[in-house]
Amino acid sequence: MTATPTRNPGIEDTSAGVLAVPRRSLGQRALSGGTVLALVALVLFFFAMRPDVFLTFTNVRNILYQVSILAIIAVAQTVVMVVGDFDLSVAATSSLSGSVAGALLTAGQSVTVAVLAAVAVGLAIGLVNGLLVAYLNLSAFVATLASMTSIVGAAYLVTQGTTLFNFPAGFTQLGQGRLLNIPMPVYLAVLIALVAWAVLRFTTIGRSWYAIGGNVEVARLSGISVRRSRLLAFTVAGLVAGIGGILLAARLGSSSAVQGSDNLMFSVAAVFLGMTVIRSGAANLGGTVIGVAIIGVMSNGLNILGVNSYVQQVVTGIIIIAAVTLSSLKTRSR
Amino acid sequence: MTLMTEPAEPASTTTAAAAPAAAAAGPFALEARDVSKHFDGVHALRGAQLAVRPGEIHALLGENGAGKSTLIKVVTGVYAPDGGTLVRDGEEVQFTGVRAANRAGVVALYQELSIIPSISVAENVLLGEQMPSRGGIVSWRSMRQRARVHLERLNQRIPLGMLAGELSPVQQTMVSVARALATDAKVLILDEPTASLTDTEIRELFVVLRSLRDEGVAIVYVSHRLEEVFELCDRLTIMRNGSHITTRDVSASTIDEVISTMVGRDPGSLYPDRGTATEQVTISVSDLQGRRVKDVSFSARAGEVLGIGGLAGSGRSELLRILAGAQKQTSGTITVAGTTVSMRAAVPQMLEAGVALVPEERRSQGVVLGATIRDNIALANIPTVSSAGVVSGARISTIVERGMRDLQIKAHSPRQPVGELSGGNQQKVVLAKMLARRPKVLLMDEPTRGIDVGTKAEIYRLIRQLAAGGTTVIAVSSELPELIGMSDRVLIMHEGRVSGEVDAADADEEVLLSYCYGKADVR
Repeated sequence: MTATPTRNPGIEDTSAGVLAVPRRSLGQRALSGGTVLALVALVLFFFAMRPDVFLTFTNVRNILYQVSILAIIAVAQTVVMVVGDFDLSVAATSSLSGSVAGALLTAGQSVTVAVLAAVAVGLAIGLVNGLLVAYLNLSAFVATLASMTSIVGAAYLVTQGTTLFNFPAGFTQLGQGRLLNIPMPVYLAVLIALVAWAVLRFTTIGRSWYAIGGNVEVARLSGISVRRSRLLAFTVAGLVAGIGGILLAARLGSSSAVQGSDNLMFSVAAVFLGMTVIRSGAANLGGTVIGVAIIGVMSNGLNILGVNSYVQQVVTGIIIIAAVTLSSLKTRSR
Repeated sequence: MTLMTEPAEPASTTTAAAAPAAAAAGPFALEARDVSKHFDGVHALRGAQLAVRPGEIHALLGENGAGKSTLIKVVTGVYAPDGGTLVRDGEEVQFTGVRAANRAGVVALYQELSIIPSISVAENVLLGEQMPSRGGIVSWRSMRQRARVHLERLNQRIPLGMLAGELSPVQQTMVSVARALATDAKVLILDEPTASLTDTEIRELFVVLRSLRDEGVAIVYVSHRLEEVFELCDRLTIMRNGSHITTRDVSASTIDEVISTMVGRDPGSLYPDRGTATEQVTISVSDLQGRRVKDVSFSARAGEVLGIGGLAGSGRSELLRILAGAQKQTSGTITVAGTTVSMRAAVPQMLEAGVALVPEERRSQGVVLGATIRDNIALANIPTVSSAGVVSGARISTIVERGMRDLQIKAHSPRQPVGELSGGNQQKVVLAKMLARRPKVLLMDEPTRGIDVGTKAEIYRLIRQLAAGGTTVIAVSSELPELIGMSDRVLIMHEGRVSGEVDAADADEEVLLSYCYGKADVR
């Protein structure tokens, strides 16, 4: 064998120094804008169908009110999905937090105690999920499916299988009170979303989450403490889900073991929809908000048109499939 | 490009001075002394040594499984050694983890693990160090500034806000080098950095590496491409079976000598003798069209090894994929053993017709890494090991045992996950899986990519054995010496068409290369 110089006819030459900025075709642009366009189209459609009702102040406020709790749960889900995991227990956690608050209130405890205890419950569940996933290396699916099962059981125990109600006004105000004619949960959802957005965008932990979600091995070898970061992500998710549960109980004026359980699938759907919005295809808060808005607008619009709620559920599933199909087309065309 | 590979006389090796940049003797930047490491009682390293000077590019060579990766992981704190010492700048050190090694200035860049595609260039550059922040709040502005400084040191102008996944391969490599520099690396370890780079990009990388060397950085360069090693490196260390074999100046070595030291025996000729093809045509293709493939016609005979070359994007891989039924054919005909195959034939029909493909991307297309050898082989043979929809374990065992024996797959047992095998043995599993279908035509895309020299020779021998048994082998390769060495006849493609056909016995790289660039016959 002789020492021949390396030639690599196998690989195309590109002239040195020329920066290859990938061009995106019109189709790719349309795809990435597709989810936003879908939201606009939905709004226009319902507006055209019921111009007298759909875009009125009262109805828009209604939509915001209806999606505020879902938005909070979806924030929790976004954080975990940024890290590349997911959390099946978010909705159950919110139910248990709401149930704990309800049980303490009916037992005569003060609003402060009830709220703090409910927040602590969310935090503790998130911590346990995080330990299971990050330190015991269980898959997020198995760990959170199992914890969801136990959490639902615990919520039945706390509520003794009934619906708790008759909460003091100081508590229900959190969910039903209004400021400037806008319900409190809307403010809180906006606040939580803004804080989460800032944490994801501007803090070292947020950027570590994105790094881990992008490629866990590179992150590990770059010295990011992967375990601690994942633990923290689940803990934050539990905490936020707990807050969501408190607001839900306050809004309904009651707590039961299964209330808000729809929020699990809807939160995952919202994050998936949001992942189609940005180029990297990662979970992101802006996208999640758009996802939540799509779900909210659709459910409200179909309601106004008098479509029954079972049909709404069928349509929601189809929308999720469409969104995920679109995003897979997008990654395939890369 | 000229290479200094021939020492004037063997006797002169002792007088050959170290390369100029490495001449500064003194404390080594990094030294691994007599390092040992075992996993489950198996020695991965035993008496491994590596001593790198500041301001030199030091090649670390050895076959797959020789212990190079394990040694790198020991010196970068991924694994704690069982025995031996690490010395950094004359001081004994113990790294408790990657971070500790990074802090001490030792950084490794891994081929597949260099960047995070979904985050920005700036963040990728600064990934290894503390992000510029105050009270946990990241300062994007100083992040960009700092990332820009590191990239400018490499003469790179890459938009910092871009997603790293949208960069070209060489830009991604540059980003990971910049990241190492950002952590103030004094010892930079590169594992197969040129695997996915073009010629021009390799030049660009070499310029950067040389300038880092001249700044006094110690560079450890791991590569299977010996030609590159001889062009770039100052000294080399060869490992075998987890042990240190030799360290010497590159200028005092030859490629042949290095190969025989790596293999531990005289590799003899890398390529077996050619055989004689029969007159019986097994596959013929006329006016074949598909994505990236235009009007391709050729035929191949039983016992023939047909090499297909061309630049990336020339349609060579696509041609194989169309033949295997993995990609759509838009017009033309494929005839296998006298029978014309349906235009719409997909992989199962092509396998049935006797055409099997060993794909290019072994890890993602060839094997299921987490599954056992047995399951991987069974996967492609479900129709032949089952009757009435029920799979027979005994029949699977038969084909698995035969495959492992015939191809000499080195593994503890058929139940071992394929992911634990070396690249060469993984490739043999892919071969075994396909050969169990007894194909008349075996298509191979880059049959020896990522496989060490010793196993390469084995793969060439297997190809020749198959041909001798009457199989037609059609193999795509991007390496011209390989194309000429393993084939009987070579087709070169250019922009989807066959631009040249050459008898391998009197082929010449210059001529093949001119066909690759679409030039007419130069002779």
